[in-house]
Amino acid sequence: MEKVQLETLTGVIDKKMNRQLKQYIDICARCAICKDACHQYVGTGDFKYLPARRAELIRQIYKKYFDKAGRFVPALYEAREPDDNLLDELYDSTYACTGCRRCMYYCPFSIDTAWILSVAKAILIAAGRGNEMLGQLADAAIFKGDNAAMFEGVMLSGFDDISEEVRAITGNPEHKVHVNKEGADVLYVALAGAHSIRPAAVIFEEAGENWTISMFEAANYGFFYGDTEKARIITKRYIDEAKRLGVKEIVVPECGHAYRVAEFFYEAWSKEPMPFKVSHILEKVDDYIKSGRIKVDRGKIAGKVTYHDPCQLGRNGGKFEQPRDIVKAVTSNFVDLTPNRAEQWCCGGGGGIVAMEEFKDVRLKSGIKKVEQLKASGASVLACPCENCRLQIEELNDVHGLGLEIWQVIDLVVAAMPLPGSQRSVEAAPAGEGANA
Amino acid sequence: MSDETKIDLELDLKGLLCPLPMVKVSQNINNVPVGGVIRAVATDPGAMADIPAWAQSTGNEVLSADKEGSEFVFLVKRVK
Ligand code: SF4
Ligand code: SF4
Repeated sequence: MEKVQLETLTGVIDKKMNRQLKQYIDICARCAICKDACHQYVGTGDFKYLPARRAELIRQIYKKYFDKAGRFVPALYEAREPDDNLLDELYDSTYACTGCRRCMYYCPFSIDTAWILSVAKAILIAAGRGNEMLGQLADAAIFKGDNAAMFEGVMLSGFDDISEEVRAITGNPEHKVHVNKEGADVLYVALAGAHSIRPAAVIFEEAGENWTISMFEAANYGFFYGDTEKARIITKRYIDEAKRLGVKEIVVPECGHAYRVAEFFYEAWSKEPMPFKVSHILEKVDDYIKSGRIKVDRGKIAGKVTYHDPCQLGRNGGKFEQPRDIVKAVTSNFVDLTPNRAEQWCCGGGGGIVAMEEFKDVRLKSGIKKVEQLKASGASVLACPCENCRLQIEELNDVHGLGLEIWQVIDLVVAAMPLPGSQRSVEAAPAGEGANA
Repeated sequence: MSDETKIDLELDLKGLLCPLPMVKVSQNINNVPVGGVIRAVATDPGAMADIPAWAQSTGNEVLSADKEGSEFVFLVKRVK
């Protein structure tokens, strides 16, 4: 490796490896308990997907340049130069990781392999080996944000169409998607897709919420790519817009990573306190149901219903009960998956992996634990927040012939509301439709 | 867009939810030669902003983006 590039890479490691991360790579006992926690290792049996092995690659580079013993006797301490072979292996083990942190949950030392791999992503990006697709999607989002005026016309026209659908569902001619409404209490930061806006708009309007959306969306491919600066810029757009509109609260959509970015990461990236309350849409909906602001009918959803905890919302976001309470409010036939909550198996579709074709094989193999759980539940309906999870489980549903109906939670809620066109919401946007195109 | 535009690849993105239409165009752009054109048909209105934004930021070109009934039809040219 050329000296300049090597200096760049070691500079990245030096900057990113804080005390906690150094401790992680020092204390790993190589007990391999984490191997049975990782759906990718379990599904493929491939050594490179063993969590501790993924982190080991970073440890090897670290030892080579920052550890006295590793510098002088590299062979003894398995210190390695980041050559092409190491970087190739690092790429596979890093971008395949869904960031589910199930390995951390089971590790006796709570070693956060996904965090260690954030250093790996920074190294790969510095070496010009970041994942191209995720980088493109992050850049497209930044371009869209920089040039919001260019897209305003088509977006407003899309919102008008959704407003019509909302009115057809609620039967109320006053209902609509509020856009850029100054003085709104809530800014709903949706995804670009109509499926993320339509049911939320029905619920907000029926709850009498003073809400709005803006031109900026919650999806954050900068986060998946591993570039915190891109991730910060994408998030800052809607934070700035929320400030301009004077809202009191930001509500993020069902999407798991969007919640984690807004609630847990933005403050650290921007080095300023989050000026608003951040809520997940399912917290709001749970509150609307419990406080009677919206009505749901328990008899409208047929079949046994189960719920999948997306890793970013559940294990990593701590939101276990509100989504379950919502599902239990719309059906009297609920069955949980086993295991569940913090021990829930990752479906295999997180971390942006559904956008990376090169990992399709490992992604599908790694879904085997989820398939087993779903089969064992006997459920015919799956409620599943998070876009990435739904895409993955839709594909598993097809490949394994599970025959499941897969729903976004807010679509289930709208279908259970006593509204003239509530069934229309379901027909218009079955969750994850077209995942295999 | 003129009827004479030669289409190198047809992508049926109907039913795909955003950002998937943009992801699929991006995944397929290298399946046409430089100068080649993808015709993509999506139904999610979010694609009307997503696909042009992706094209601009990657240096490709959207020759046209039209709403035809409930469908959104894109002609995307691979520039490099
Ligand atoms: S479970 Fe923890 S300590 Fe054991 S090998 Fe895995 S990361 Fe290391
Ligand atoms: S975070 Fe999840 S995918 Fe990544 S190594 Fe740990 S268990 Fe495996």
